[in-house]
Amino acid sequence: MKFLCVPCDTPMKLAKAAPPERGSLTVEYECPECFHTMAMLTNPMETQMVTSLGVKIGPGGGGTMAAGSAAPNLSAGSASAAGDATSADSGESGEGSGCPFSGMVDEMAAGQTGSGGLAWTPAAEKRLQNIPSFVRTMARKGIDKYAREKGLTQVDDSLLDEAKQCFGM
Amino acid sequence: MSPRLEQAEIIMKNYYDIVGDGGSGVLEQVTARDAEIARRLAGVRHRVAIGSGKGGVGKSTLTMLLARTLRRQGARVAILDADLNGPSQARLAGLQDAPLVPVDGGFAMPRNHEGIGVISIGTMLPESQALKFDSVAGGSSHHWRSTREFSAMASLLAAVEWGPLDYLFIDLPPGAERTVQYAEFFGSDTAFVLVTIPSDLARGVVARSVAALGEMPNPVLGYVENMQGYYCADCGTVKPLFAGRENVDLGLPCLGSVPFDPRLAAACDAGESLTEDPSHPSVAAVQAIAAALCGRLETRP
Repeated sequence: MKFLCVPCDTPMKLAKAAPPERGSLTVEYECPECFHTMAMLTNPMETQMVTSLGVKIGPGGGGTMAAGSAAPNLSAGSASAAGDATSADSGESGEGSGCPFSGMVDEMAAGQTGSGGLAWTPAAEKRLQNIPSFVRTMARKGIDKYAREKGLTQVDDSLLDEAKQCFGM
Repeated sequence: MSPRLEQAEIIMKNYYDIVGDGGSGVLEQVTARDAEIARRLAGVRHRVAIGSGKGGVGKSTLTMLLARTLRRQGARVAILDADLNGPSQARLAGLQDAPLVPVDGGFAMPRNHEGIGVISIGTMLPESQALKFDSVAGGSSHHWRSTREFSAMASLLAAVEWGPLDYLFIDLPPGAERTVQYAEFFGSDTAFVLVTIPSDLARGVVARSVAALGEMPNPVLGYVENMQGYYCADCGTVKPLFAGRENVDLGLPCLGSVPFDPRLAAACDAGESLTEDPSHPSVAAVQAIAAALCGRLETRP
């Protein structure tokens, strides 16, 4: 989607994007010639459709997508599983990145309670961010389970490497 | 119409006059992800999608049996379970408890004890739970669910360390329309094999997939007739299982037929292989199909 300033016949530039509110996004565009601004307000269906493409929208978001960075947030269908998700998008989302769609992922995760998961070292946590966000929660749970079975209370790089070996990766 | 608007219509740029999209970068991100997928899959020699259109004909089982057969012959093999809603490959591979292990730039592919790599939602989600995507548009998943599933599949493809592979089998979900969507998704380099059973009901549905794939550039290597008779271990013979007259011509070469064997089904449930004995009818049948498949892959234009 592109926006054109009709009086100037100039393509407008994305200026600001706010986190979604009740499923609606506010994305502001500005004309670089006359500085006229306008806002695109999406309805939840429109927000959902764009989110479903697995992309970010926001200043600087273009072409910088990490693997699965704003991909759908997968959760289990049962009520019990809904409480198992965690919010671990610290490296790529939320207000800091100006990305409303990934902000929405955070928003969804924030509404779900933690699972009493193990502590992850910063290095292990950083590696976890490499996993598409929509399966990150499941990945965390799987590694937590593996660690618990070994009597460990913390996930670190060496444990991840060990798990990799264990499953022939 | 106001003079101002009239004037604007004359000078206004159209969509294609404007380079870029003003900063949202949606198209660029999708393109970048496609490029990442292509990079990740660059080491895969053959991509083979196992489809049908019909459900319950044994696509997943046959996929795993082919993978096992080729793996035993020394090939580097992996399976992508593209059935996000009814994944089978984690169980078939005995990898239901394999965690996703993050590595630099993605995650490592779990491999079973035979060395077959498997990417399946089944390793990520217990069978007691259905796949569900969070949504801000309540009650309208019929509008966006398919888009989201393909986005999820793309995210997985782009994040997995596939490495060098001789064969990547893609276990497709049912549905003729889905078969075509995956042909578009994976690109024209992906070859297809269709699975049916000897009943006109099943063949009729598979024929629709053949017709739909006929519109695509992807090579369709042939079909496999699964459950072609019932193998009785007591008497060692294959008895008829379906009374199909096979009136529906699929217009494809038949790569082979596999008899139904209850012991094979039980082994699949347990994530084990039944036997490697080539005198066993199922093993011999799959070996013959694997040979035919490889032959067609090597000789296709």
